[in-house]
Parts: sequence; structure tokens; C-alpha cells
Amino acid sequence: MISPSSFGFVADFLLRETAMVCEPGKEYLVEARLLPLARAAGVADVDRYVDLLRTDAVERGRAADALTINETSWFRDLAPYQAFTDVLLPQLLAARQDRRHLEIWSAACSSGQEAYSIAMLLDESLPPGWTYRIHATDVSPTMLERVRAGRYSQVEMNRGMPANRLVKYFTRVGREWEVSADLRRTITTEKINLAAPLPGIGLYDFVLLRNVLIYFDVDVKRDILRRFRARVAPDGFLMLGSTETTLDLDDTWIREAAGRAWVHRPRQPAGVRPATGTATATSPATPSTSHPTRLTTTGA
Amino acid sequence: MTVLTEPSSFDVQAVVDEVWTTFLGGEPLVPVAPDFDPAGTFPGSRWDAAVTVSGAWHGLIVVSVNDAVAHAVTQAMLGLDDGDTAAHEDVVDALGELVNVIGGNIKSLMDGPSKLSLPLVAQAPIQAGGIVETCRLDLAWGSHRVWVTVGTRDEGGTS
Amino acid sequence: MHALIIDDSRTMRSILRRIVVDLGFDVTEAGNGQEALTALEDGLEPDLCLIDWNMPLMDGYTFVTRVRADPRWRNITLMMVTTESEHGQIVRALAAGAHEYVIKPFTADAIVEKLELLGLAAQEVPA
Repeated sequence: MISPSSFGFVADFLLRETAMVCEPGKEYLVEARLLPLARAAGVADVDRYVDLLRTDAVERGRAADALTINETSWFRDLAPYQAFTDVLLPQLLAARQDRRHLEIWSAACSSGQEAYSIAMLLDESLPPGWTYRIHATDVSPTMLERVRAGRYSQVEMNRGMPANRLVKYFTRVGREWEVSADLRRTITTEKINLAAPLPGIGLYDFVLLRNVLIYFDVDVKRDILRRFRARVAPDGFLMLGSTETTLDLDDTWIREAAGRAWVHRPRQPAGVRPATGTATATSPATPSTSHPTRLTTTGA
Repeated sequence: MTVLTEPSSFDVQAVVDEVWTTFLGGEPLVPVAPDFDPAGTFPGSRWDAAVTVSGAWHGLIVVSVNDAVAHAVTQAMLGLDDGDTAAHEDVVDALGELVNVIGGNIKSLMDGPSKLSLPLVAQAPIQAGGIVETCRLDLAWGSHRVWVTVGTRDEGGTS
Repeated sequence: MHALIIDDSRTMRSILRRIVVDLGFDVTEAGNGQEALTALEDGLEPDLCLIDWNMPLMDGYTFVTRVRADPRWRNITLMMVTTESEHGQIVRALAAGAHEYVIKPFTADAIVEKLELLGLAAQEVPA
């Protein structure tokens, strides 16, 4: 088992370089994620590997990637995607008649399943003449490279991808499946550390920041929400994970029901209302019972 | 267009890793230096599980393990408790399904159409006439060894 | 809810059985398409069939074709669970009437998520 000092070092550098919290009790998971890297680096065990990390920034990047890998699904949780097509998209189509273009941000996009899931829905639902861009960002360059490549293993394809969309949007390339060039063209990527100031300008119509806040301590969470507030269009939507909420952190958001999911909208100054607000405002969130999904082992 | 005549060992390794970790979890397979001739003797009783592919590509995929690995694999795949020992026919069935899934995924690497045979499992080396070994993985699973070989029908040197 | 698991490997039937039993299904097993078809003829009324492709006597593709040709069985959800993973094979199975397709190897989560897509497993409802 990884030594306390090695674990402490890993937790510190993760916090420093990705702002992710890695609490005691996760030793087994850190060990499981780093062991293959230790072997690849030719060292005997994880403690020796952590010694390597102390002096090797490139290897630290690899370790950070391995530790932040998200075991993720296509159309994960379904309800947010149903909410998007059934509730949010009709509102956005009405609100963006003049521009006929949607800007979407998949923040902490991991290997891109969320971004491409949204792309498939838009491909199937947008009226002719409309365009969209999905900006996929992550702290990990390895993940962004994967998003651009748009290639997924068999096991990844099994996770929630409806068979009819698999045959429609993917072709087999060797042992992997590659998403169509048409969908890849709608995705842009950028390395963004959510804990640092956000680069770029412009407003997004729909922002997905799902199952990410849970990894940050409360001050960082509050800060992230404040900075995202400035990037969501006044009549746009922010989607958090099903168990996450802004309400206890930041009163500049309104939480609304959208089908079986929840969305957050920027609260407008008194007297100003977004043009399309039709969803119902609701009572504060109940505490969550689910668990974070990063830093988990693969289900067998 | 390139026509593959045999799967690359990189792809075979990736397929085997994926199947192994998905079904068995836990300890991954680690490549090791070759230290055993699959056609020769085996430390402990030997199990071979094989499928053939026939059609656009002709191949033979064999997984070779010793008795301890065979039983551990069966135990894990069938979800048996630690105390339960797998019966002989359970081992035959579990190893057969393991090589079936590995073989099916290797078949998909090659240009089709091809057909996958039903699996064959024996406590002895499995070989096929006219097939030459084109890829061999020497793997460690904990303290045990696992071998995967892929053979392709000898086409008389054409490519 | 009742699932009919059709696979010539007892190991695979056992893996699938454990997953769907956890979701509250009762399970019947069949070792090939012919055996499964006989069970349906004898009056078994499953909500779901999990179907391997390569099996002796009758393969899963033929089974799907036969089930879809008979109006008595139109409400059964058919999901292939197979090592056949070429694009064209998946297209064929869907065209024959399979509703979903899972490629071996799969994790338990993969089966559960597909059944959620099919409305045969409850999704977790957010607070």
C-alpha cells in the first residue's frame, strides 16, 4: 500500500495543479491508478514512482491524467439530455431566432462523451439552417487530445450509447470506434483549469458543469460559480450534476425544474426578466445522497 | 487500401487487456519476457482455450493458462465464493467464453466477413494444421503466466 | 419483469443473470435460439431477451428474425449481447428487429444503462 508521505505528496500536487481534493481514504484508488504508470516507468512500486514524481514534471502530468480519469457514459444519467431536447432547446430556438446559432460549453469534458452526446442531439433536433459549436474544455491535455481524435474503445462505446446512434455516427477503426467528421467539426477544445481565471470572452447559451464541483473545496466552488455566472447568457442555462446545486453557495442563480432534471439560470437584477423563462422556480435542494464518480474503480 | 493479413500485437494486447480487466477486474496483465514455449511443457496442468476465425481472414486464437489460473478465472467469472471450487465443466465453459470474447474482438480487427467458431477447450496444447503463429503475448497475472497466441493460415508467403 | 437469457455459455448466462436479478428481474435461461423459441412457444412471456449471436442449433440473429415475424411476441424487447462487433453486423441486427446491442466484454453498468435507455430499469431520480 502507498505510504502516507507518498499519498500526501500526491494529494498536494493534485490540489495545486488541478485544484482537486484527494482525501485520506482514497489510498487504494491512488495506488490502483498509479500502479500501471509505475510499471510503465520501470519502477518497482508506487512509492518509488511517487519519488519520480517529485522531480519529473512530465511524469506528474501523466499521473494527474490517470488520477482524474472519469469513468464516463454517453448520455450519462439520461435526464439532463432529455431536459435539453424537451425543455431547454425549444426555449433556446425561440430566443435565438435571429442568430440561428447555439454556443455550448462542456466544462471538464473528460474524454468528450458529454460533448458528443449533445452534438448528436443537436444533429437530430436542430432545424435546417441552424449551426452550433460545442466548446469542450478540460484541465488534461491528454483528455483534450482524445476529444479531438473522437476515438473510443469497445468498452467505452457500450456505456450508454444507443445502438442506432452508434451505427449512425461511428465507424470502426481497428479496435476503436471513431465519431463522424461532421460531428468532430462542431467541437472546439481548450485547456482550462476551472480553479484559475477563465480565458476567453463570450456568452454560452448552455453550459454543462456536471459532477465537477464536488472535487473542489467550498471557496473554490463559490469562485467557480461566480466566474461561470459571467459566461452564461442572461437567458441561458447552467447544468450541474444531478446532486449538485448552487443554492447554498451563491444567490446569483435561480434553480429551475426542467423535466426530470434541474437547471440553473443567472438571476436577473430586480425588474429584469429573461425573455423565455417558463420553467418553474422551486424550493431549495434536498441534500444529495449520491457519490462522486471521479476517482472510482471500474465496475466489473 | 491496406489489407491486413494479421492483427498487430499492439492491437491483440489491447483487446486481451480490455477483455481481461472487464471480466476479471483487479490485477492487470503485465507483459513479461518470453520464458516458456507454449508448445512444450507447462508448470502445472495446462489448459488451452481456442477459437478459429474463417472467411476473409483465417486465424486461430489460443489462450493458455495453468490449472491455478484456469480455476481463478472461472471463480471470478462465475462469481463463486472464495471457498467454492469450480467444477471441471465450469472451467471448460468459462475459459471457452473468455477466448470467445477475445477471439471475437480480434476478428473485428480484420477485414470481414468472417465467422467465429464455437470455442474449444482442452487440458492439452491446441494446434491447427496450416496455421503459423504470427503473434504471441507473454503475460503475467500476479505470480502466474498467461499466454495468448494468434495464428494465421499460411498463405505461402503472399501478402 | 422477466428476462430470457440466451447464450450457449453458462458462464455468460451467469454473469448476465446476476446483473438483471439485481435489477429485480426473474430469469429464464436458454442455451441457444431454438431452446429459447421453444420456451416462447410454450407460453413464456419475457419482457426482455438478452441474446448471444453465435450459438449452436439456432443463432441469435435467426432468433431475432423469428421473434419479430410473429405478432404474439411483438412486445418483447430484444437486446443482442455478443462478441460480434463489426459495424455491418450491428446494422443487420437492428434491421432484423433487435432494439439494442451490447458488445462483449461489457461492465455491469453498461447493461444497466442500456436497460435504462429501453425503459426497463429505473433511472436514479435527482433530488
